[in-house]
Amino acid sequence: MHRKHFLSSLIGAGVLAGSDWKSWASEANEEWIIPPSLKRGDTIGITCPAGYISYNDILPAIRILESWGFRVKPGKTVGKRDHSFGGSDEERAADMQAMLDDEGVGAILSARGGYGSVRMIDRINLSRFRNNPKWIIGFSDLTVFHSHIGRHYKVATMHAKMCNSFPDNLTTADPVVKDTLLAFRDVLMGEKTKITGPSVEYNRYGSVEGRLTGGNLSILQNLAGTASEINTNGMILFVEEVGEYLYNIDRMFWNLERSGKLKLLKGLIVGGFNRIKPDDPGEEFGRDVYRIVMEKAEKYNYPVCFDFPVGHQRPNYPLVCGGQYRFTVGADGSLLERI
Amino acid sequence: MRIPPYLKPGDTIGIVCPAGYMATERAGECIETLQEWGFKVKTGKTLGSASTNYFSGTDEERLTDLQEMLDDDAVQAILFGRGGYGMSRIVDRIDFTKFREKPKWIAGFSDITLLHLHIQKNYSVSTLHAPMAGAFRDGESGNEYVRSLRDCFLGMPVNYNVDGHPDNRPGIAEGKLIGGNLSLLINSLGTSSEPDTNGAILFLEEVDEYLYSIDRMLMQLLRAGKLSRLAGLIVGGFSGTKDTERPFGNTLNDLIKEKVEYFNYPVCFGFPVSHDRENYALKCGVEYRLSVKLNEVRLFEQ
Repeated sequence: MHRKHFLSSLIGAGVLAGSDWKSWASEANEEWIIPPSLKRGDTIGITCPAGYISYNDILPAIRILESWGFRVKPGKTVGKRDHSFGGSDEERAADMQAMLDDEGVGAILSARGGYGSVRMIDRINLSRFRNNPKWIIGFSDLTVFHSHIGRHYKVATMHAKMCNSFPDNLTTADPVVKDTLLAFRDVLMGEKTKITGPSVEYNRYGSVEGRLTGGNLSILQNLAGTASEINTNGMILFVEEVGEYLYNIDRMFWNLERSGKLKLLKGLIVGGFNRIKPDDPGEEFGRDVYRIVMEKAEKYNYPVCFDFPVGHQRPNYPLVCGGQYRFTVGADGSLLERI
Repeated sequence: MRIPPYLKPGDTIGIVCPAGYMATERAGECIETLQEWGFKVKTGKTLGSASTNYFSGTDEERLTDLQEMLDDDAVQAILFGRGGYGMSRIVDRIDFTKFREKPKWIAGFSDITLLHLHIQKNYSVSTLHAPMAGAFRDGESGNEYVRSLRDCFLGMPVNYNVDGHPDNRPGIAEGKLIGGNLSLLINSLGTSSEPDTNGAILFLEEVDEYLYSIDRMLMQLLRAGKLSRLAGLIVGGFSGTKDTERPFGNTLNDLIKEKVEYFNYPVCFGFPVSHDRENYALKCGVEYRLSVKLNEVRLFEQ
């Protein structure tokens, strides 16, 4: 692996921890910057900040994006491989940096998640991006970018499907996949979406307006105490998870609660918690995700919804981190509308 | 940092289970051994409880049991039955008022790491990262690791001499010991239990995690500034480490070396602190001297 010197950019970050950056806590009602919407003919760059993917595996995404009238520019990390990563830390950072700085690229779509964003984000220079924001798109491991950029730059980012979950053929695809991807296109082109979730016994009713933030629960815990720590105060928080044990999900929610991230929310959106690992026989955890969440949220009054269509699953609708939304939970289920 | 009074023969050790369930008979050898060492034993209600799920009792039951042991003047030390998961759920509800006035030794590891960190951070009382009741079985009660718990309880000076490792970074460090299970260290970040590692000798151990997940947790320690101003780093056992289908491509030691390569403090690998048999008792918060060589590592109290 070519990881030599990967840390040089981090030493400064470490020194900051524990003092200055914690006081940077942002106000949710401050102005956020929404990157310009895309038009037909605009270019979407594709890069791999985390796991490896082959060029063949992003072809379906390229075909669909092109069918919508966009141009596609695959980055140098597509098809590049350093074991599980899409290139070395340096290569992944350089590719992302090139996309960020390229004025001909209107949006940056991550090819896939996996693991790796946290290894390279401290090498990224976001000063140019700050002045010329563009959409950064992805989820799962890309939660690192959503949280980091939201915290420091208040530029909206897009939590959405990545290349590896684009179908081979959009017209014959599962209707939910198709609907999700059309919403992806609509959000990119500046339309305001409405997303609905089911009526769930554990939902807590209410209606609020606020900015949205969130992502993958493991990643949110992984950012705690660091310069990329998520700021949830006054926000609507959404979380999703995949492939974890219930006890670990509980422990991560305790990290959110104990670090004050559930206290001052406007609302809480619980997306898919998929492929939960089974407990050992005789060691049953005894609580499902509904109870795990509600026992933390019961002392607060904000609306809460479950099984919202976001996560490692087919119904994974695009959400704008930093976008202003109205969030309503009632007898009919949940509704999240961009306003 | 306050050091709780060391134990004398005739003192009482309380056994409770603040996390996972443990049958009474699983603690039998521990109770006998503690008695052979000259201590009395008081078991809490959470040892061999009627619980039928993962936990040794409800949050309230586990909290109450621990609280009673903390507040009981007739109990001079608390030894946990086992770890598992559960401390995160109750740690903020523990009342340390009496413990603060009259500190006593608290011994355990794994899930108990959160309690060690919490007490160090908020109450500056030394605690014992050590084998728990579950380690006293299958004839293992006489091994040097379990016996190191007794020696620590009795206040005998601790001097560990262990084998070196070719990956060691030689040097000498002095500082207070802090650390424990990596997952729980991570779980404390951003909370009121978050450790201050500046000037400390940090020790880490882990069990059954994927390499990528270990890397992600180490990255978090690094990015949170927890590795930048250490006096030294002790890498314990990472038992049962798993790899993904697509190999992560680096060894555990390489992942650790990569995180500390820009710092200069001594680092040792394979120290006997772990989920395996090799698990020396370590007094968190106490000043130690760590001497790391390629062929030998010494850790002893100042």
